[in-house]
Amino acid sequence: MPDTKEVNPLREGLSSRAMPQPCAVVIFGATGDLTHRKLVPALYNLAADGALPPAVSVVGFARRDKSDEVFRKELEEAARKFSRQPINDQMWVGFASSIFYHRSEFDVLEGYESLAKRLDELDAQRGTRGNRLYYLSAGPDQFPVILENLRKSDLNRAQPGSWARVIVEKPFGSDLPSAQRLNELVKEAFSEKDTFRIDHYLGKETAQNMMVMRFANAIFEQLWNARYIDHFQITASEPLGVEGRAGYYDKAGALRDMVQNHLLQLLCLTAMEPPAGLDADAVRDEKVKVLKSLRPITGDDVRKHVVRAQYGAGTINGKRVPAYRDEQNINPESVTETHVALHINIDNWRWAGVPFFVRVGKRLPKASTEIAIQFKAAPPVLFNVEGQTIDSNALVIRIQPDEGVALRMSAKMPGSSLRIEPVKMDFHYGTSFGKATPEAYERLLLDAMGGDATLFARRDEVEEAWTFVDAIRAEWDKNSDDLALYAAGTWGPTEADELIKRYGATWRRL
Amino acid sequence: MSTTAQATIEPGLPVEIGRIDKELGKLWEETGDTKTRASLINLAIYTESAESVLANTNLISQIASQYACRALLIFAKPNAPQEEAKAWISAHCHLAGKGERQICSEQITFELDGDMVSALPNIVFSHLDSDLPLYFWWQGNFREPLDKKLWGWVDRLIYDSADWAAPAEQFSLVQKIRTLTEIRTILCDLNWTRLIGARFALAQLFDHSCALARVNKIERVSISCAKRTTGLLLLGWLAAQLGWKLQSLTGSERFLSPAGAPVDFEIQVIDGPTIGRCAFECTDSTLEIARQPGSEYFHARIDCEGISDTMMLVPAGKSETSEILVSELSRGGKHPLYRKALAVVEPLIK
Repeated sequence: MPDTKEVNPLREGLSSRAMPQPCAVVIFGATGDLTHRKLVPALYNLAADGALPPAVSVVGFARRDKSDEVFRKELEEAARKFSRQPINDQMWVGFASSIFYHRSEFDVLEGYESLAKRLDELDAQRGTRGNRLYYLSAGPDQFPVILENLRKSDLNRAQPGSWARVIVEKPFGSDLPSAQRLNELVKEAFSEKDTFRIDHYLGKETAQNMMVMRFANAIFEQLWNARYIDHFQITASEPLGVEGRAGYYDKAGALRDMVQNHLLQLLCLTAMEPPAGLDADAVRDEKVKVLKSLRPITGDDVRKHVVRAQYGAGTINGKRVPAYRDEQNINPESVTETHVALHINIDNWRWAGVPFFVRVGKRLPKASTEIAIQFKAAPPVLFNVEGQTIDSNALVIRIQPDEGVALRMSAKMPGSSLRIEPVKMDFHYGTSFGKATPEAYERLLLDAMGGDATLFARRDEVEEAWTFVDAIRAEWDKNSDDLALYAAGTWGPTEADELIKRYGATWRRL
Repeated sequence: MSTTAQATIEPGLPVEIGRIDKELGKLWEETGDTKTRASLINLAIYTESAESVLANTNLISQIASQYACRALLIFAKPNAPQEEAKAWISAHCHLAGKGERQICSEQITFELDGDMVSALPNIVFSHLDSDLPLYFWWQGNFREPLDKKLWGWVDRLIYDSADWAAPAEQFSLVQKIRTLTEIRTILCDLNWTRLIGARFALAQLFDHSCALARVNKIERVSISCAKRTTGLLLLGWLAAQLGWKLQSLTGSERFLSPAGAPVDFEIQVIDGPTIGRCAFECTDSTLEIARQPGSEYFHARIDCEGISDTMMLVPAGKSETSEILVSELSRGGKHPLYRKALAVVEPLIK
């Protein structure tokens, strides 16, 4: 639940959410890409929108030697490039004065002890009241040592009346045992209520709108079951290759990198029952129930229900791009999947017999993340008779880009003959609301400061998701002769088309 | 049809009132698939000033780029000798997304002369985009008798009390309108919306633990503002939120805190920002937000035991009318705090 102590009476009505208490945000791995591209621009935008408590301090913790001034200068350059709204010089000066740099190796305890002193000083100077938000943005191999040293230096312990929380970036483990080990390490330092496992997809406006759409519109929820829905298609496609993430990606692959977290989270939001309330645990309880209901894909079923593939050379946006194995820092004999298509079943009352088709891939023709709900066809009488095919209704929720909702239905074409064609009712956030929507990290940082974990993954969610994914990986690890190939710039391998065709459906044309 | 970059300066294409829908339909047919019509609300604007027709058209163009609407601009000349009604149609388009398509909002402009002004509900309301809420911005003074037919349709009544020469009388009429509509109509005073920046800044000031510890020990509040009603609304909000009760003594007024301690106040009207300064005095401290003319920020200062001269820069909020209106449209809500603030300072409004 968000913090409610020491209520400022002038805050009432200014925003639909409570202003978090002032705190020190300590970023481990502060010189990394995420800090520059996402975290600091997000904090700046919050400050510029007046949504950030004024006394918030940002402390970068990293190995490289640099002064506060140099760090601020680097962050300013990045913020000017990546911020959602233009940087206002006057505003930046005020914001930058709250940024500090703390140099230390991650495995040196003294560095944490000196950090504790510095944070105490900042508390006194800036009125941050001993509140701490630690952001683990370093490489995942560093998480254990950072957590251990936070605990040894007592930085994980909040003073009475204050709080200490930790945000853990993905990947949260690389399989179930490693996730469990990491969860144990986190648990030794922070309680579950103070642990925020981030999945930035959940911070996106449309992902949040999913709950509103389902549970604030009576027309949809009545139809949201096996009686009316034929199947679901959840897609996350991107034209990008591995870019600067070759080392990580070649070990992880699309299943671990995208399906275990982002896509299963979207599936949960799509399939879950109405929660008892909007508090974090009520929502997460329902998501966990979905994950527990996923029919495990094991043994021979893996080849039947999952297609893995890797991109070969091809053309993206008129430019030749190399094959995955020819990318820099990728093993030339790599069998890592860059595309996965899955047929998932949820064994519960609501979704019995309704397949969820999930696909994710790199070097696909365009960037698109969406959830499509394919409704059953109208009965084969009147218009839907033999010889005249009528497309069934589809409700599409676009997560990114061009966030919005579209409904496909059938309509009579004007004229004396009876011709029925699909038409689309389309709602675009960008069309109706000209204002740019906040970046996912803005919402998530603010939620963590406010102690609201609704949009963060709970321990059991993460572990259930790994259980599902690990069973597939275990089969894949036996041999890789099922790895299909697709040319970069195409919509994936023919095997993926056959996977959905077996059910009598086709992938949506995006 | 114009784009935002080439804002329409004429009311648009003259049309017969009975053919507005057909002509709008033709307008869209001619554009083919290159433009998309969008609308979230019906935004009606009533003015009696000829000069403001152009200003309002430009304003609608700016608003439409952020908040798609069907705009109905009504220019009324109640004292014109002849009875006449005229209409024009136009559209405001802007490039959306990566510039691949244009999003357009429609504007219908009416000129109502003489007794035709009394037919305003019939003429205007037959051209609403159905099922969408009606926001009615009444520019100028409210007059009796109040037409229940007109006000009964309005979901949000927008006005700007900063412009009123006789605010006491006008506030009273606004309350009557609300009663007429059985409290369904939401009152949106742009003078109140304009205060959001100052309210945010003051809230941020009191987020500081040192300031929050003194929120119940304030002995005096001083406000500098451009318009007295604006300062009064800010004072009313502070009083309502901090539980101060107005006490009228012989010829002077002050507040009493929940503990019964006196809280003096002063409102100074000075040319400059909407709110130039709001300062609080306690026995052991002073707290203030201050804004220089032309600045987009409030400088917040806390001077109290242990912490002195803590400078904070807080966004001052929007100041352009179109930005204020967009802010009002985006925030929504029923403004219960406005009504509470107004109730507290009502005896001070002259």
